[in-house]
Formats: sequence, C-alpha cells, structure tokens
Amino acid sequence: MSGFSARLAAPILGLAIGLALGLVYTWVIAPVELVNTYPALLRTDYRQAWIRLAALSYVTDGNLKRARARLDGLKREDVASAIQALIEEYAAAGRPADTLRSLTTLAGTLNVHTPAMLVYLYTPEPRQPTPARTPSRTPASTPTHTPAPHAPPSPTVPAPQPTHTPGPVADAVSQSPTSVFASTGTPAPTPTVPLLSRLYLAEQGLVCQPEQTARIEVVVRDEHGAGLPGVEVWLTWPGGADRAVSGLKPQHGTGYVDFDAEPGVSYALSVGELGLPLVTDLRIEPCSVQEDDREETALGSWRIVLEPR
Amino acid sequence: MSKRARKWVIRAAVGGAAGLALGFAIGWWLWPVQYTNTAPDVLRRDYRDDYVVMVATAYEVEKDLDQARQRLRLLDPQEPAAPVVELANRLVEVGGAAEDVTRLARLAWALGTLTPTLTPYLEGQP
Repeated sequence: MSGFSARLAAPILGLAIGLALGLVYTWVIAPVELVNTYPALLRTDYRQAWIRLAALSYVTDGNLKRARARLDGLKREDVASAIQALIEEYAAAGRPADTLRSLTTLAGTLNVHTPAMLVYLYTPEPRQPTPARTPSRTPASTPTHTPAPHAPPSPTVPAPQPTHTPGPVADAVSQSPTSVFASTGTPAPTPTVPLLSRLYLAEQGLVCQPEQTARIEVVVRDEHGAGLPGVEVWLTWPGGADRAVSGLKPQHGTGYVDFDAEPGVSYALSVGELGLPLVTDLRIEPCSVQEDDREETALGSWRIVLEPR
Repeated sequence: MSKRARKWVIRAAVGGAAGLALGFAIGWWLWPVQYTNTAPDVLRRDYRDDYVVMVATAYEVEKDLDQARQRLRLLDPQEPAAPVVELANRLVEVGGAAEDVTRLARLAWALGTLTPTLTPYLEGQP
C-alpha cells in the first residue's frame, strides 16, 4: 500500500505543479489576447453608443437590414433602452420630424415602444408652412421647430425613405384607443370629413395665476372628449410662427400642447397644415389675481380647447 | 541518483507535463479569460470598420463634429481622423460602397484630413 502511494505521489505532485504553472501562464502571463471582440462585449456606455450610431445610421441610409445586422447579438433590453432614450432626446430637442419618423420606424420594427414614438408614428408627412395660404401671417422668420429635410444633397447618397411599417403601426394604433390617426391614417375610404378639418374652438378661457409664465395652452380632444395625441398645432404671429405636436407632455394630458407667449402680440392658432386659423387675435393681457387678501396683477395665459364638430 | 529516485523524478515530470498541458487546455480553450467592458479599439476589424462608417453616417444627422471626433478618439486617441481616411482609402481600393466612401470623405473633409483619392467622392463624382 505504501509503495503504491509513493508511486502515485510523484505524478500527482507533478500534475498539480504543472497545472498551476499552466493556469498561471494562460490566465496571467499570456492570456487570450484582447482583440477581435464584438459589440456585445463593449462597456455599457460604448454599447449604448454603438446602438445609437446604428439607429442614426438607419436614419441616414434607411437600410433596415444593415441596422438589424449591426444590432444583432446585443441584448434586447440594451437596444430598447438606447433607442427609447434617443427618440425621447430627439423629440425633446425638436429634431426634424423626418428623423424622428425614421427612428420610430426602426424602433417599431425592433418592437421597441415609447410614448414619444406615438406622435411620430402617426403624424402625417411633414409639411412646410405655405405662406401663400396665409399671406397676412407669413412667417418671416424661420420657425424653430419647422420640419426640414435633412438628407444630404449628394446624388450618390440615397435619400432616407421614411416609410410606415404596417405591422407596428397597426399594433400601436390598437394600443392608442384615442388616436386620431386610427380614422385618418388608414387607406380605407371613409365618407367622413377628416377630424382635423372638423376641429373648432370649443372653449377659450383665461388662466390667471400669480407669477405664471404667459402661455397659450391648447387641448385637442376627440368626439368623446379624450385628448388627441399627435396633432400638429401652429401658433403664428406677424413675422413668426411656431409648431408643436400634442401629446409630448403626457403629464398634462395626451392632447395637450403649449406655447410661450408675449404680451402685445396678436397670435393665431391653427392645426394640421398651416392654414385657416381656428382662433385669431389672441393676445396676452394683464389680469387680476387675488392672493392673501391682496389683489395682484399677472399676465394671463389662454387655455384653448379644440374639439371636432 | 538511485534508481528509485530517478523513477520518482520521471513520474513527477510526466505528471508535471500532463498538468501543464491540462492547464494550457483549461486556460486557453476550456475556460479562458472572459473579457467584458471592452472599448471599440479592440473590436474585430469588420466591426471596427463598421463603427467608423457609423460615426460618419451619424455625423450626417447630428452635424456634431466634436462628438464624431470624440467617438473616433476611442480608436485612435492621437489621430482621430486616421481611421476614417484609412478606411475610406481601403474601400476605394477594394471597390466598397460609394455611399460609405462618400460619407467617410465628408467626415474626413470636416476633420480637415481629406486626401486627393477621396476628393471626387466629396464632389459627388466618384
């Protein structure tokens, strides 16, 4: 027995030492070289940047297959969070509607959904303000939020093709029971007048609160009184115009949109294509507000409610 | 050395060799060092190339040269524009997609490193 143990002791000891040396060499001295890695191994911030770059590249080249290949192998949660963040950042920054539409199309095909997407999935093709329609209110200065084509001018670069993907659109419509585009965005012929054409001024009230910023708040509602997201609202004034889309401030309701306003300016309000105003000569004026048994003067804000006839 | 001692040494050496081989097998193939949190500069070449193309393409949307430069610094901290020019020239040589070369040329021009090879692409006439 002792001879057997003695015979085994040598190879076991050698094996242990050899194994230890081998592991030290392969793990510490000459580990697998850090080359030829792939995006999934990138540090979190670099991985997010990779996804962001892939999405922005899709905006420019419109190549869905390539975008998918670039995002292939990455965790779905990573892709979703990065694209959601990008869409929300771009929506908040007032980036061109074309860009946001492309991003939401990509997000839709990747099954990523975020509230900011809904607006851009259903908004009609961006339209430039047409001064010919409203000669008296021609925006002389360029509106800050005017959608503008962003495609590079070179003929060698294919222009981005913002296309609506039927699948995700249908999905999202079903998730948004109050969407105006459920009735206007489908190709099926309908004898009803488009909802935007039926909107009229249902309510107009002065909001007077101490130390408030003068604003024009607009609430767009559907036939049932529910807020309508995705409606393009224009505020025009002599020498300028501004555009906003309802639903981007969900904390105020899905049909809500507001504009900063200044006293002494005559504003007009229209929806959809910049055309016949629904409200004209809207002016910010001082109002009285009662506070601590004192009467103070503040700048009044307007709250406008638009509903279909 | 006695015969017995020599046998012991041989057995130990054989065991050591087997252990070493086992250690190499485990350390390099079966259970190698796992890298995470890597940076773009160690991406495989095709991914690296794609990264550069994406930076150039995203620049078309963002128009943020500092951002593009910062992203390229992850590949070459000293000369951020170098990967752009190198890839563009390589794509020209191998007949890569003209759209990609055009975007790379635009970024190279913005970074002030346009080469004569890329000038036709910038003018839209490759």
